Amino acid sequence: MLYAQIINAVMLGCTYSLVAIGFSLFFGVLDTVVFCTGDVAIFSSFSVVLLVQITALYALLIGLFNPFFSILITVLLAAVITAALMVIMYQLVIKPFENKSSLMPLLSTIAAGIALRELIGIFFPQGRNPRSFPELLSMERIFEALPGISWRNGIIILATILIVALLHWFINKTKIGLSIQAVSQNREAATMVGINRNLVIYVTFIVGGLILGFSGFLIGSYYSVIRFDLGASFGLKGFSAAVVGGLGNLYGAIVGSMLIAFAEVFVSAYIPGGTAYAGIAAFVLVLLFILFKPEGVLGSRSIEKV
Amino acid sequence: MTDRQTHLQNTGKFVAPLGVLIFFAAMALAITMNLWTTLAVVVVLTALLIFGEKRGFVETAYKMVEKNYKITVAVFVAALLLFPIALRGNSYFLHILVIAGIYAMVALGLNFQIGSMGQVNFAPAAMFGIGAYTSAMVSVHYGASPWLGMIAAVIVTAGMGVVFGFPALKTRGFYFSLVTIAVQTIFVLLVVNTDWLGGPNGIPGIPAFSLFGRSLKQTGNLFGMLLPYQINYIYLTFFLLILLIIVARRLYTSRFGLAWNAIEEDEIVAATQGINLTKLKLLSFSIGSVFAGIAGSIYAHYTSFIGTEDFDFNKSLILICMVLLGGMDNPVGVTLGAVLLTVIDEKLRVFADYRMLMYSVILIVVLVVRAQGLLPKRNRTYPGTEEG
Repeated sequence: MLYAQIINAVMLGCTYSLVAIGFSLFFGVLDTVVFCTGDVAIFSSFSVVLLVQITALYALLIGLFNPFFSILITVLLAAVITAALMVIMYQLVIKPFENKSSLMPLLSTIAAGIALRELIGIFFPQGRNPRSFPELLSMERIFEALPGISWRNGIIILATILIVALLHWFINKTKIGLSIQAVSQNREAATMVGINRNLVIYVTFIVGGLILGFSGFLIGSYYSVIRFDLGASFGLKGFSAAVVGGLGNLYGAIVGSMLIAFAEVFVSAYIPGGTAYAGIAAFVLVLLFILFKPEGVLGSRSIEKV
Repeated sequence: MTDRQTHLQNTGKFVAPLGVLIFFAAMALAITMNLWTTLAVVVVLTALLIFGEKRGFVETAYKMVEKNYKITVAVFVAALLLFPIALRGNSYFLHILVIAGIYAMVALGLNFQIGSMGQVNFAPAAMFGIGAYTSAMVSVHYGASPWLGMIAAVIVTAGMGVVFGFPALKTRGFYFSLVTIAVQTIFVLLVVNTDWLGGPNGIPGIPAFSLFGRSLKQTGNLFGMLLPYQINYIYLTFFLLILLIIVARRLYTSRFGLAWNAIEEDEIVAATQGINLTKLKLLSFSIGSVFAGIAGSIYAHYTSFIGTEDFDFNKSLILICMVLLGGMDNPVGVTLGAVLLTVIDEKLRVFADYRMLMYSVILIVVLVVRAQGLLPKRNRTYPGTEEG
C-alpha cells in the first residue's frame, strides 16, 4: 500500500515539476508570473493528440522508423509548436506591459490562459469532451518482480530527470544560460555588461516552451485522458509548487512539486473521505508556506528596496 | 473665466439632465434589442467617450454635472424609478436589471482592493458566495427572516474579509493573488464536499424577502398596470446599490481612499508616512467583502436557488473584468462596467460556448488599449485647491 502510494506521488510530482520549472524560469527572467503556463502545457498534450490521431503523422513515421524514434520525432514536433506558441504569447500579452504595473501582465496572462483553453474547447474536434491520449508508452512492467513500475512510469521519471539534467547543463555551462542567470540576478547590471536582454528573454521563452511541450506529453501519458480545462488546475499546482520550492529557483520547483504531490496523495490515501479534500490539502500547504516561509524551501529571502 | 462658468451653468441646466435621459434611452435600447444593437450601443458609447476625452468634452460634462448637481441627480433618480416601469412588459429585461445591480455591488466591493489598493483579489465570487450561503442557510435551516439572513451575511463576510485580509498583510503582488486563488478554489471545493451546505446540489427553496407583510415575490399593481415581481427586487437592488455607491464615493474622497492610493503607489513609502498598513488593508478587505455579502444575500433570496457554479473562479474573473472595463477606482465607472458586461453577457446566452473566450479577449484588449477603463478616475479636488 505504502509502496504504491509513494510511486503514485513520485509520478504526480514529475508531472507537476516540469510545469513548475516553467513558472520559475519565466519568473527569474521577467519578474512576472506567466499564469498561462499550465494551459500551454495542456495545449502541447492536445498537439500530440493532433499529430497522432488526426493528422496520422505518427502512423507515417512508424512505417519509416522504429517506435522510439517515431515517438521522439512526434514529441519534438509538438514541443516546437508549443515553444512557438510561448513566443507568440510573450509578444501578445507580456511584452506590451513591460515596465508597467505588475498587475497588468498578471491579469493578461490569466486571460490568455483562459482564451487558449476556450480556443481548444471550441476549435479542437469535440474539444469539450474528455479525450483519450494515445497510448504511445507501454503499460507493461519493466521488471516482473516490481509492480507499479511500468515502462510508461519508468520513461516518465527518466524523461523528467533527463530534461532537468539538460536544463542544468544549459543554465550553468553555456554562455546564453549564464546570461539568463545574470538577467535573473540583476537586470540593469546584466544590460550594463553587454548582455542582450531581449535575446535572453526570447531564448528563455523558447526553452521554457520546449520544456512545457515535453511536459504536455508526459502529463497526457500519465493521465491517459485529457480535458481542455486541465490547464487551469495544472497551472495552479505548478505555480503553487514553484512558490513552495522558492519562486525563481529551478531545483526548488522540483522539491515543491514533490511536496505538493506527496501531500495530495497521502491525504487522499490515509485520511478517511480524504479524496475530496486532496486538492484543498495542496492549497493549504501553499497558504502555510506563503504565510510563514514565503521564500520557499530553497529560495533566498530578498530584502525589499524602495 | 466667470463668463465661461455662468455659460456652463446655464447650458448645463438642460444639457446635463438631457445627457442622463439619453443614457437611459441607450440602456433601454441595449437591454431590449438584440445582441448586435447592444454591441452597437456599446461601441458608440465608447467612441463618444474616447473622442470626447480628446476634445475635453468629458471634463466639461463633469463640470456641468457638478454645477447642476441637484437637478441632474433629481432627473437621474426619476429616470431610474420610471425605467423599470417602462420595461414592465418583459420580466426577462427586469431580471437583467436586477442581476446587473447585484454584480455592480460586488464589483464596487472588489474595487476597494483592485482599484484603490492595486492588489488583484481573485476571490470576489467566493465572498459573494459566502454572503449568499450564509443568508440562505440562516433562512432555510433556521427559518429566520431573510432580512436577518442579510444581517448575518454582512457580519460573516466582514469577519471573513478580516480573516482573508491577514494574508494580504504579509504578502503582495503574485503571492497575494495566489492566496486569493487558493481561497477561491478552497471555497468551491469545501462547499461541493459538504453535505450540510447542499453539496453539489446547491440549496433550493430559499424564501423571498418580505416587506410590511408583503412578499417581494408578489406581482404588484400600480394604477391598473400589472407589475411583475422583479420590479420589487429592482427597487430593492437600486436602493442598496445607490447607498453603496455613496459609501464608496465618500470613502474614495476620504483620507482612507487617499491612503489606499498611497499603498498602491508604494507600500514602504506609505508606511514611512505614518499610514497604518494593517488597519487600512483589513478595512479594504472587510468593506469589500461586506459589499459582496449584501449582494450575495439579495442574489440568494432573489433566485431562490444557489449552487457553487454561481460562485466559481470564472465568476471572479468576470467581476475583475467589470472593474477594469468600467474604470479602476471610480465607483461610477465600476457600476457602468458591471451593467454593460451583465447586459452583454445576457445577450450572449445563445453563444454560451464563447462566453469565457469573450471575457478573456475583453480583458486583454482593455489592458492593452485602455488600461484606465471606460471612465478613468479623476484627480481629487479639495476645497481651496481649485477655483470655485
